[in-house]
Amino acid sequence: MSADGAVSPRSEHRDSDHTARGERIQAENVTAGYGGDPVIRTVSVQAAAGQVVSLVGPNGSGKSTLLKSLVGIVRVSTGRVKVGERDVTNLAPEEVARAGVGYVPQVDDVFAPLSVRENLEMGGYLLPKKEIAGRIEHVLTVFPRLATMVQRSAGKLSGGERKMLAMGRVLMLEPAVFLLDEPTANLAPAIAQSLLADHVRQLAERGAAVLIVEQRAKAVLAISDYTYVLGGGQLRMQGTPAELTGSQAFVDSFLGGRAATAG
Amino acid sequence: MYYLVTVVVYAAVDVMSCLGLSLQFGVGGVTNFGFIIFQAVGAYAAAILSLPSDSANGGFQTYIGGLHLPFPVPLIGAALAGAALAVPFTLLVGRRLRGDFAAVGLLVAAVLMNLLVMNYKPLLNGDAGVALAPAPLRSDVMTTASLGYQWGFAIAAVVVAAGVYWFVRHITESPYGRTLRAMRDNDKVADSLGKDLRSLRTGVLLLGGAIAGLSGGVLVSFISVWSPAAWTYAETIVLFAAVIIGGRGNHLGAVLGAIIVPVGFEESTRLIANSNPSLPPNLLPSLQWVAIGLLVALFLWFRPQGVLPERKRVIALPGSAAEAGRPSARIPVSAPPAPGPVPITSAGLIPMTTAGSVGPAAAIPAAPAPAPQPVAPAAVTPETLAATPAHDIVLQAIDVSRDFGGVHAVSHVSLAVRRGTLTGLIGPNGAGKSTLLALLAGTDNVSAGHIVYHGQDITRVPAYRRARLGLVRTFQLASEFKRLTVLENLLSATPGNRGDSFRGALAGHRYWGADEASAIAKAAGILTRFGLEPLANEYAGDLSGGQRRLVEIMRALMTDPQMLLLDEPMAGVHPELARQIGGALVELCRDGMTILMVEHELAIMDEFCDPVIVMAEGSVLAEGTMTELRDRTEVVEAYLVG
Amino acid sequence: MSIFLASVGFGLITAAVLAIAAVGFTLQFAVTDVLNLAFAAIMTLGAFVAYWINQAGVSVWVALPAAMAVCSAISVLLNFLVYAPFQRRGSSPITIVIVSLGMALIIQFGVQAIVGGVNVSYTMGQGTTLRAGGLILTTVQLVIIAISVVVMVAVYALLRYTKLGKSMRATAANRSLARNCGIRTSRVITITWALTGALSGLAGTVFAIDIGSFGPTSTDLFVVLILAAVFLGGPGHAYGAMLGALLIGIATEVSAAYIQPDYKYVIAFVALLGVLSLRPSGLFGARA
Repeated sequence: MSADGAVSPRSEHRDSDHTARGERIQAENVTAGYGGDPVIRTVSVQAAAGQVVSLVGPNGSGKSTLLKSLVGIVRVSTGRVKVGERDVTNLAPEEVARAGVGYVPQVDDVFAPLSVRENLEMGGYLLPKKEIAGRIEHVLTVFPRLATMVQRSAGKLSGGERKMLAMGRVLMLEPAVFLLDEPTANLAPAIAQSLLADHVRQLAERGAAVLIVEQRAKAVLAISDYTYVLGGGQLRMQGTPAELTGSQAFVDSFLGGRAATAG
Repeated sequence: MYYLVTVVVYAAVDVMSCLGLSLQFGVGGVTNFGFIIFQAVGAYAAAILSLPSDSANGGFQTYIGGLHLPFPVPLIGAALAGAALAVPFTLLVGRRLRGDFAAVGLLVAAVLMNLLVMNYKPLLNGDAGVALAPAPLRSDVMTTASLGYQWGFAIAAVVVAAGVYWFVRHITESPYGRTLRAMRDNDKVADSLGKDLRSLRTGVLLLGGAIAGLSGGVLVSFISVWSPAAWTYAETIVLFAAVIIGGRGNHLGAVLGAIIVPVGFEESTRLIANSNPSLPPNLLPSLQWVAIGLLVALFLWFRPQGVLPERKRVIALPGSAAEAGRPSARIPVSAPPAPGPVPITSAGLIPMTTAGSVGPAAAIPAAPAPAPQPVAPAAVTPETLAATPAHDIVLQAIDVSRDFGGVHAVSHVSLAVRRGTLTGLIGPNGAGKSTLLALLAGTDNVSAGHIVYHGQDITRVPAYRRARLGLVRTFQLASEFKRLTVLENLLSATPGNRGDSFRGALAGHRYWGADEASAIAKAAGILTRFGLEPLANEYAGDLSGGQRRLVEIMRALMTDPQMLLLDEPMAGVHPELARQIGGALVELCRDGMTILMVEHELAIMDEFCDPVIVMAEGSVLAEGTMTELRDRTEVVEAYLVG
Repeated sequence: MSIFLASVGFGLITAAVLAIAAVGFTLQFAVTDVLNLAFAAIMTLGAFVAYWINQAGVSVWVALPAAMAVCSAISVLLNFLVYAPFQRRGSSPITIVIVSLGMALIIQFGVQAIVGGVNVSYTMGQGTTLRAGGLILTTVQLVIIAISVVVMVAVYALLRYTKLGKSMRATAANRSLARNCGIRTSRVITITWALTGALSGLAGTVFAIDIGSFGPTSTDLFVVLILAAVFLGGPGHAYGAMLGALLIGIATEVSAAYIQPDYKYVIAFVALLGVLSLRPSGLFGARA
């Protein structure tokens, strides 16, 4: 519908090394949805290597849909998605994964009947066989809690353990880009805090680009380099956490109506 | 000439069985892969009821019964036997089992029953089958060999088939039939509207079984023999092919399919066989089955609706009612003036709002004054609430929990909803709001705790019975009955329609016409109120997302609920329409209804809901007016920090 | 006592054949989401492919791999031409079951059109009869049991230790997440059709060997046993299907020794109806 002319022909396909670092993920004027009316309209966001970039906004503002459109689950009708210089718009999810994008969905984020170890092996599906054991060891040092339960089936984990496993599964590949959809939903506040501060931030420190959707705006702002605010399927605001924090309009965008002072 | 008579009788029998299947599969949505055994049991019943006892019948065959009863008892017995056979299978198609698993069970039953009858000779003469079943009404004057008798039989069979057609149409075009179609389109939603799925499915199984039994009885009365080779499981697929090709949910299509598929195939292979006597005996029947298989697959791919698709039931709205309702009941389209877009120009921030949106950023007023309060919610101000007696609690959750595996979706929630309030339920994603709603409505079961409705513990009451008690829910995902019109969607929810039972449907339009007329008038009023009467006769599945949400709310209102549980009724609805819905809900509460509404748009909560309950991580965090809640840090943190 | 032991012996053979079919069927359903009622028809096809090769003077044991290959190819083709297009269109499970029944008719009666309605037997020796403490088995029957045990161990090893097997389980558990891991699920599904198709060919041929004389409709009843084993074990659970097969195989044959032999299927059917009505996720499956 909108500026279709803006879509340039796909850039040359570079066979991407899946452990390559330092890639930028970029959505340019993406309009996407489930077939009917688009859920998000002409949204542009980007995250560079080494950055945590957060997407916040009220329920139903299209944050999750945006992530799904980046990984090929939801069809992009106009606009494009790039990982580094590679155009991955509307590639199948497995091809986006092979382009170096790791995605942690909000629900159904583990293979419930498979054991913790097997989940991690699936995360390392694209790795050469001899590297897998070593990567698992590494991931278990990042999430030591999981090391005590490698044989347990994922469906029997607690909420926090399960989310660690979901992130550990993605970490297996050391992807260039992490897309995390509300990793702290359903977690107790203390666990959520540590997940964000210890683990998510660390991903960026290690050189990955992290794009994270969160409802706990304040907590995620604390670890973000840049933040986008979505509302009604469109970008409402963007800026650094410093710019956004304390902004009345920002607080209002969550609580609506008359503003309250956040604690 | 005899050949033609045979074709006519077979056609009549096939038409009957296809109509029975059309009722089960096309109308009721029950995939009965064992349909043929119901015909078989009818045929056997008719045979052994009309035959003399086996010892008195030459002794070359053995069978039970042999009651030598006169016409029409064997035919009645055939229908009853078909219905009786259905009884054990009602276990399979109860409330929750997946339709494809039930179909597998029925298929296996068909295979097995054929084996049993074939191998147990004392019962029904084994694989040789019963023979010499006497023709009805034969006498020395009317010998069965006479052409007159033959034609008489053929005509009678056609009349019976026509009667069956009239019967299934009569049932289908009643409020009961409409309920069956609603169940076919979405059984879970029908359940939540107070429809007893088990009893409805029992009904279609019994009715279809009786029709199949009757068809078997007619057939055996004509051909006088019946053996297991005549009713292998694959015969059911022929009937399915006929119904699919003719048109699911269209009984005329079933008639057409019966004539095209079983009759057409039988006759064409007979013709080919006659003209090519050198063909191997097994080749043509085998190829016939191959062709049936191909036809089923091709039709399901290229024309799944069949040759004669289900027709749309257009019901005229009473013009006067719609006219009368319009000026008074309609919500003014422009009820609460939407605040205009306000540019946000704080330092460093880039405003991105677009005009006309109700997104929170757009809804912020320029001045830090309270949000404009529309007139309507004045009825539920805190003062009126305070005046409400404490015992006036409609619905109460007491220490309710729900675990999925190890995850506590809802944990130890206690809350009370007072009469006449529009109570809001908010919380971040994953807070357990929708799960709690499902527990309250009975579409999901609590792991622990109690649910009390009007002082009565309803924790173990199934969803459809809660709906009948006036506690009705809507769903977050689109849940309209797609192949019912908007008006039919509303009518299907009407409680207490006299035609909404098998007996009522049987009694006919005269019996339920008045109920139906008043239901239509009521539906017309609701349609007018929500401005959807121009779409009354459109298929609900063809509407836009927002309109479908409206259909769902209107349908819930048709149940005369005392309390509504709404799961994000405004999601995906145009902001203007959302405001209209909100206004209508407030009005309903003023008239005495109680509503608990999950919603994530806080502007909506602000404007319409009082009190508001905040959930986070499966527990209730706070309760109060939106204004109060905004000053509570734990609420702010649930949204901002966590 | 001797009747009992002998019937246990029969039960073991039935269970051996049944386990191959039930594991194939349940794996197919788990990974591809198709409740493929044409499975037994493909078994029949496999049995006849082996028969045709056997008629040319080749040992049936040599013909067996060829039958498996044909069934494997047919299954892949069936998915490619029929089931996958219907699934892509978003057809309901019930539509796909009806289509699969149509495919069953096409294959089963296609075979019948070619071979006619008469029953046939492989040209093969039955080997010597072995007795061990009341169990009476021929060497051929022992071979069938051995094949089944090998297949069960192989399936277990595949699912437990290989990358392919784990990606099959991952695809069955959560197809969308499997794709996010970079697994080309459509390829995993194709391979699953090929493997389970081969199992149907194997099951069909050993079934034909076991019953001796077989025709195009011989598997009609065997379907009852397959489905009973599959649903008893919980649809989609490979190990459940193995246990279900053992249970059904022995229960039916032991009961056949004491009541009318033809009614052995009744046991299986009652088990199936009971588990469908009361516990659709199976006796050994996770709760619904």
